[in-house]
Amino acid sequence: MQRYPSALILRVLKQTNSAHRRRTLRICFAACARMVLMASLACGLAFPAVAQSPTFTVGWSVYAGWNPYFYMSKSGILKRWADKYGVVIKVQRFDYAASLDAFVGKNIDACTMTNMEALDMPAAAGVDSTVVIVGDYSNGNDAVLARNNLTLAQLPGKPILLVQKTVSEYLLERAMVLNGLDNQLPHLKLLNTSDSDIVGAFLGDKSNQVAVTWKPLVSEIVDQDHGVKSLFDSSHIPEEILDLLVVRTDVLKRPDGSGLKFAKAIAGAWYETVAQIAAANAQAISGSAAASGDSVASYKEQLRTTYLYSAPQSAAQFAQSNELKQKMDLVRQFCFRHALLGQNVQSVDDVAILYPDGAIQGKKDRVRLRVDATYMQLAAQGKL
Amino acid sequence: MAQPFRVSDLAGIQVRPARLWTHSLSWILFVAGIALYAHFSIVRHRENPEDRVIPSATQMIHGLKASVLEPAEEDDPLDPGATLFQQVRHSMIWKDTASSARRFFTALLLLVPAMLIGLHMAVFPYVGAFFLLFVLFFDKIVALSLLPILFIVFGIDEWSKIMLMVIGVAPTLMLDTYNIAGGVPKEQVVKAFTLKSTNLDVAYRIVLKQVLPQLINSVRLNLKPLALFLFAGEMIASTDGLAYRIAIMRRHMGMDIIIPYLLWVALLLFSLDALLRFTNRRLHPWYQPL
Repeated sequence: MQRYPSALILRVLKQTNSAHRRRTLRICFAACARMVLMASLACGLAFPAVAQSPTFTVGWSVYAGWNPYFYMSKSGILKRWADKYGVVIKVQRFDYAASLDAFVGKNIDACTMTNMEALDMPAAAGVDSTVVIVGDYSNGNDAVLARNNLTLAQLPGKPILLVQKTVSEYLLERAMVLNGLDNQLPHLKLLNTSDSDIVGAFLGDKSNQVAVTWKPLVSEIVDQDHGVKSLFDSSHIPEEILDLLVVRTDVLKRPDGSGLKFAKAIAGAWYETVAQIAAANAQAISGSAAASGDSVASYKEQLRTTYLYSAPQSAAQFAQSNELKQKMDLVRQFCFRHALLGQNVQSVDDVAILYPDGAIQGKKDRVRLRVDATYMQLAAQGKL
Repeated sequence: MAQPFRVSDLAGIQVRPARLWTHSLSWILFVAGIALYAHFSIVRHRENPEDRVIPSATQMIHGLKASVLEPAEEDDPLDPGATLFQQVRHSMIWKDTASSARRFFTALLLLVPAMLIGLHMAVFPYVGAFFLLFVLFFDKIVALSLLPILFIVFGIDEWSKIMLMVIGVAPTLMLDTYNIAGGVPKEQVVKAFTLKSTNLDVAYRIVLKQVLPQLINSVRLNLKPLALFLFAGEMIASTDGLAYRIAIMRRHMGMDIIIPYLLWVALLLFSLDALLRFTNRRLHPWYQPL
C-alpha cells in the first residue's frame, strides 16, 4: 500500500475506467493523509527539542544600516553565535511601521529602529525597552531636496513633501533651527506623502518644489532630475538620527537569564558582521545589498552616508558619552512638541531615559527607555 | 393575538417575533463586540497600564475630547475664552471631516454623469457600442496602481484624490446602470414611441424614471468603495482629512484617536446610507424590490 504518490497520480491519469479511477484516487488520498499524519507526528517530535533552547525573534526593515541583519542570518554568522550561547535567534524582515507595531504588540523580542521611534513608539506606549546596540547614525542619508535653487529661507509657504512625524520632519526642523529660521517653523506647509509614492509625486510634478526623504529615495530623485539640489542633510546633524537595536526590557531580564544570552549572541554576531562590512568584504556587502534588492554600487553609496560604528569600542564610548544625552534631549523635545509621546502626556519628562552612567533624563519613576552599553562594552573587550 | 414564545420558534420560518425580541436580538452582536474589546483592553492594561494598542475607555474619551474640542496640531491654538461652538468649529475632527467630505461629495457629484452615460449605453445602441467594451475592460483595472500617473496629470492636491475615487467607482456604476436600464421591458419603449415619445423622452421619462430607485441603491452599495478610495488617496498624500489624521496617528500608535475616528467615519457613512434609503422610499413609494 505504501506507494510513491506521484507514481500514483501518473497511474490515475492513465486510468480510463472511471470506477478504477475513483478507487485509485481514494488510495491516493489515503496516502496523502498518511503523509500529513506522519509529518505532523515528526513535527510533534521535533518541537519539544527546539523548545528546550529559548527562541528570540529580531525584526528588521530595509535600511543601509540594518541590511546587515539579513546577511548576518543568511551567512550563518548569527547561527554560530546563537549556538554558542544556546539560544535560537530568528530574523524577520518587516515594513518599518509594521516592525514597530509588532514590537509594541510584543510579537517580536527585538527590533531595529531609530532613536526617535524608540522613544515615541515602544517607550511612549509603556513598553519598557533597552537599547543594546547603537549601530550607526545617518550621516547624509536623510536630506532636504529642492528645485530651482531654493534656499531654506524660501521654504515657508511652499508645499513640502515628506512623511510627517518621522525623522524627515525632525531633519527639516533642525535645518530651519540651525539656520536661524526658528520663527518660520509655523509657516511651513507640510504635505504628508507616503514613502512609496514620494519619488513619483515629486518628480512627476514640477510644481512640487521641496521634498524631505531618505536614501535610496534621495538618490533616485537626484539621479533622475539634475535640477534638484540637497539643501541640508543629516551629515550636518551627526549623531542625532541614530539607528539602534532595541530589546524589550522584560525579555532582557528574563529570570532564566536567556535574555542576556540572547543580547550577547546578537551583539557578538553584529560586530563580526559589521567588521566584515567595514573591511569591504565583497560577500558581506553584496549579501547586505541583496537584503533590499539594491545593487552593490547603490548600497555602497548608501554606506558612504551612513556612519557605521563598526568598532564596538566607539559605539560603547558614544553610548556612555554626554553627547548622547544632548542629542537625545533634542529628539525627545521634538517628540513632545509634536505630541508623539501621546495626546495625554503632560510633560516631556513622563517618558524618561536611563543612561549607562545611571543618569536619568526625566522622572525617575517613569523610565521607559534604557541605554545599555554592556554588550557593546563586552564586544569591545572581546569577552563575548 | 401574539403567540407566546417557544424555543422551537428560533428555528422556525413561519414565526413573527415580537418587537421586543427583534430589537434586543439586533443589539446582541454590538454588545458582544464591545465586551470582547473591553476584555482585551483590560487584559492588556493589566500587563501594561500605558498600553496604546487597545486603548481603554478613559484613554479614548481623552482622545475624543482632544479631537472634538482642540484644534489640530498644525493649526494655531484657540483663545482660552472661546465658546463651545467655536471650539468645535475649529476642532481637529471638524476640519478633517470638512475636507474629506468636500472630496467625497465632489466625487459623488462626478458619478452622476457616469450613471447617465450608463443609461445612454443601455438605451442608445450606438452609444453602447462605443462605450461598452472599453468600460468593461477599464472596470478591471486596479485604480490604486494608477496613482503615480494621477499625481502627474492632476497634481498632488485635491484632484488626484477625487479622480482616484471617480476612476475607481465610475466604471462599476456605469456597468450597473447599463444592466439595470437594460432590464426595462422593450414593450414599454415601443409603447412610448406609439404614444409619440421622442428618443429623449424614452431615455429620461420612461427608462430613467423607472430605474432611478435601483440606481440610488447602487450608489448606496458603492459608498464603501468610494470611502476606501478616499482613504487610500488621503493616506498617500495630503495635508488634512480623516484618513490623513489616521495615517499620522498610526506613526505613534495614537489608537485613542484612530478608533473614535473610525467610528465617526462609520457613523457618517451609515447616516448617508440611511438618508439615501429614506429619500428613495419617499421619492419612489411605488418601488417594491423583490
